[in-house]
Amino acid sequence: MHSFLTRAALAMLPMLPMAAVADELAAPEGHVILTITGAIAETNDGDAAVFDLSMLEALEAVTFETSTIWTEGIQSFTGVPLATLMEAVGAEGDVLNATAINDYSVEIPREDWVEDGPIVAYLNNGETMSVRDKGPLWVVYPYDSSSDYQTELIYSRSIWQLDRIVVGE
Amino acid sequence: MAGTDRTETSTQPWLRTGVTAFALAACIGLITFMAWVLLREIEEVSTANSDNLQWSLAQADVEFLRFELALQRAQDDPALLDQVRRRFDVFYSRMDTIEKGVVFRSLRRDSTYDEPRSRVRAFLDDTVPLIDGDDAALLSALPDIVRSAEDVSDEVRRFSLAGLGAFAEVSDSRREGLVRTLILLAIVLAVLFAGLVLVAMAMFRLSSLSASRAEEVQRTSARMRTIVETSQDAIVVANARGLILEFNPAAEQTFGLSREQTLGEKLIDTLLPEHMREKAQQDYFRFLRDGSRPTAGARQFEVTAVDSSGREFPAEVSVDQAEDAGGRVFVAYIRDISRRRAAEDNLTEARDRALAGERSKAEFLAVMSHEMRTPLNGLLGSMQLMQDEPMSDRQQELLNRMQFSGRLLLSLVNDVLDLAKYEAGKMEVVRKAYSIPQLLDGVVETTAPLAAKNGNTLEWRWVGDPSEGAVGDPRRLRQVLLNLVGNAVKFTRAGSVEIEVELIGSASPQIEFRVIDSGIGIAEQDLDRIFRDFETLDSSYARQAGGTGLGLGIARRFAKLMGGETGVESVRGEGSLFWLRLPFERAVFPLATPRARVENTAISQVSPLDVLLVEDNEINRLVAREILEADGHTVTEAVNGRAGVEWAAAKQFDVILMDVSMPVMDGPEAARNIRAGDGASAKTPIVAITAHALPEEIAGFREAGMSHCISKPLDRETLRQTLAVVAGETEQSDIPAPKDSVRRCESALLSTENLERFVTKGSTALLDRSIAEITWDIDRIGGGLQNDELRRAVHKCAGTCGVFGFSALRDALAAIETKLKRGGAIESRDLREVADLWEETRTALLEWSSER
Repeated sequence: MHSFLTRAALAMLPMLPMAAVADELAAPEGHVILTITGAIAETNDGDAAVFDLSMLEALEAVTFETSTIWTEGIQSFTGVPLATLMEAVGAEGDVLNATAINDYSVEIPREDWVEDGPIVAYLNNGETMSVRDKGPLWVVYPYDSSSDYQTELIYSRSIWQLDRIVVGE
Repeated sequence: MAGTDRTETSTQPWLRTGVTAFALAACIGLITFMAWVLLREIEEVSTANSDNLQWSLAQADVEFLRFELALQRAQDDPALLDQVRRRFDVFYSRMDTIEKGVVFRSLRRDSTYDEPRSRVRAFLDDTVPLIDGDDAALLSALPDIVRSAEDVSDEVRRFSLAGLGAFAEVSDSRREGLVRTLILLAIVLAVLFAGLVLVAMAMFRLSSLSASRAEEVQRTSARMRTIVETSQDAIVVANARGLILEFNPAAEQTFGLSREQTLGEKLIDTLLPEHMREKAQQDYFRFLRDGSRPTAGARQFEVTAVDSSGREFPAEVSVDQAEDAGGRVFVAYIRDISRRRAAEDNLTEARDRALAGERSKAEFLAVMSHEMRTPLNGLLGSMQLMQDEPMSDRQQELLNRMQFSGRLLLSLVNDVLDLAKYEAGKMEVVRKAYSIPQLLDGVVETTAPLAAKNGNTLEWRWVGDPSEGAVGDPRRLRQVLLNLVGNAVKFTRAGSVEIEVELIGSASPQIEFRVIDSGIGIAEQDLDRIFRDFETLDSSYARQAGGTGLGLGIARRFAKLMGGETGVESVRGEGSLFWLRLPFERAVFPLATPRARVENTAISQVSPLDVLLVEDNEINRLVAREILEADGHTVTEAVNGRAGVEWAAAKQFDVILMDVSMPVMDGPEAARNIRAGDGASAKTPIVAITAHALPEEIAGFREAGMSHCISKPLDRETLRQTLAVVAGETEQSDIPAPKDSVRRCESALLSTENLERFVTKGSTALLDRSIAEITWDIDRIGGGLQNDELRRAVHKCAGTCGVFGFSALRDALAAIETKLKRGGAIESRDLREVADLWEETRTALLEWSSER
């Protein structure tokens, strides 16, 4: 429901987020940490849209605090909302297939790309994350905000050491 | 069925309610509990506290193998060192996740898991500086790292396996918990279902019960309707406002109104005639106005009702209040009783007629007897006078026979008169004190001549303790005893007649008189018969003995009248015993017998008197004159009261004989006139002559100034005695007749009105003290007091007497006082009179107190 509304709102105002982002993706200057391929409108490296940390940081960031089942204590996460990121690349599919450095792979449906939904976090407690600390990118849901985010499915979608996303049709 | 159900519901409603409430509360509690359990379970299931655990643990194994592989390759190709670093970091991150993850924290207590884990951690910590170092150092350290990794690879496998085992257990226990919860849920559902079944059954039972009750109610109401409709009485139901709610067919018939016409109308206005309505509203149907239940006495009454044609009829109404669903209603049964009323009226009329017939018969008899006595008296009187004339023996014999027959006739007439009076209910018993021995002496004396004639001895005696005074009706008693003794004497020849007197019974004392003779006796079968009227056993004998056959009947009636009874025991040929039993009440005063004393004095020597005879009946006048003149008195005749008054005014007589009922002016009035005037004979003693002397009449005569009374027929002896009394006193006095009236007026002895006032106030103490005082005063007055002292004593005593209503004595004392005031001399006779009066007053007082 929530996600449906959000989607409807997005469908009606497609121009706004697009305007906020550059018309086309800039080329990465640093080390590429995320590659998005598949059904996307915006690319900057052949069929793919590639991002370094600064490119991600340039996108609108969100910070929230939550506990996780993998860490001890309340954690602060900062990152790009998945929705924002998908808009930035002009994702046209209904599901995205995310893969980690450790080859863990999971599908995240469009229903999850909502406002106040998961972010692609690049800061944990204000610091960048190394691969050892599940970095550099970690899809984090605001688990504490809703019991809907406290399910095994959502936990399985909380992919860390994210480095590739394929947007499916 | 209905009965038991009613009992059940009436005795256990609280129990049933309690159980229901409890069951309801239990159900709610159970449901709440189950909901809580389920919600908790749902909560637990819906919020996972781990991602795919098995995968994570297995991945640790895999990622370590990949790290080892990268190490192998890097040894051959140093360009692949970055791969080593990346695989190390991935594994490091995995370990970190496993160590820090919420679900893994609990595993730390498990040594089979924690020991290998800590060894792996030690390996990682040792290797990190090498991995983070430069390529050359890493490259040179590679063989060492490979060796260490080989050592650690088993540990990785061990802790991942231990973790998997532990989580299998956790998930097992959770499954078991879930199963338990589901079983509990199933049980609760079963219980709830059972409860629902029970509720459904109860509902079904209730519904069938109420259905059967409804049916029963319907049956009952149908039955009631049948009763109401078939009732012969009109049944009208009205509500609290008096409006008709129901009107049955009998009511329709009685009032000629249809049910539809009357429903909703006012009962009183519809069924009662106009003139009854106000009264009905105020009285009979008051409960309608009050809205209360009619009281027990007000539920049945009779009213006049009216039907549609205007016919008014008496109706009997029975009404009561009933509770209806709609409130209070009144049910009235109304019955047309005009036919019954008519029958009742006829019956009453018939009875009244019969009673009136009886009464007039008795009255006729009484009048006739009375009228017969007057000429009979004339005959008897004349015959008595004839005895004084010279006659031949034959004439004498005939005269005797005539006299005997005449007396027999007179006694017959007297008997019939008594009987008639009794039957007319005009006979009353008096209550006065009398002396038993005197009464019996009199009876013996009276019957002695007949007894002697038949050669019988006659005497009376006490059996047991003798008693002197009694309270009762001595005249009637005497009459009964004379009858019984007379019979005994008549039917006994040369035998004995004995009268025994005995006091019997202590609780309710009675006096029994027994008349025992040694005569012919009575057969057993005749014992009852002899008490009937006009019964004589042997008519020839009876005729010989002389009798009407009424005697015993009258005796029995009189005995009954006096509250007693009489009877007989007899053996034929041996004799009879007649007994008379009466309630006995002892007279507690010393019997004064002044009359008896006077009667006993010699009477033949009455000095010649100047007599005024006032009598309307010529024969009576003649007889009286003959008797009086025979004794040497001078007689002046007056034919009625007025003539008597005139004579009395003109001439001073020694005594006036005054008939009571006379034309022109009757005796009492004449006496009052004589006393009121100041004629020559204003103070002459007046003797009343009457045939019917009732006690209250005698009192009236005395009030009128007639101090003595003799009854008709005029008996020579009685007349002589009376005259002796009257003349005796006047003759005793030295001085010729001042004829003080005080002594004559016995009626004034007591004015009971005053007396009543003192005695009813409670104690008689005051009266007793006053009597003692008066006695003392009278003693002193007679004891030689002089002048002022005497006057004071007389004055004081008169005052006391006045207070208590001892009028005669007071007047006598007042007369003395007046004399003293005028300076007159007081004669000893006056004082003696006062003493005598006091004696009489006391006697009267005792008589009065015994009569109260």
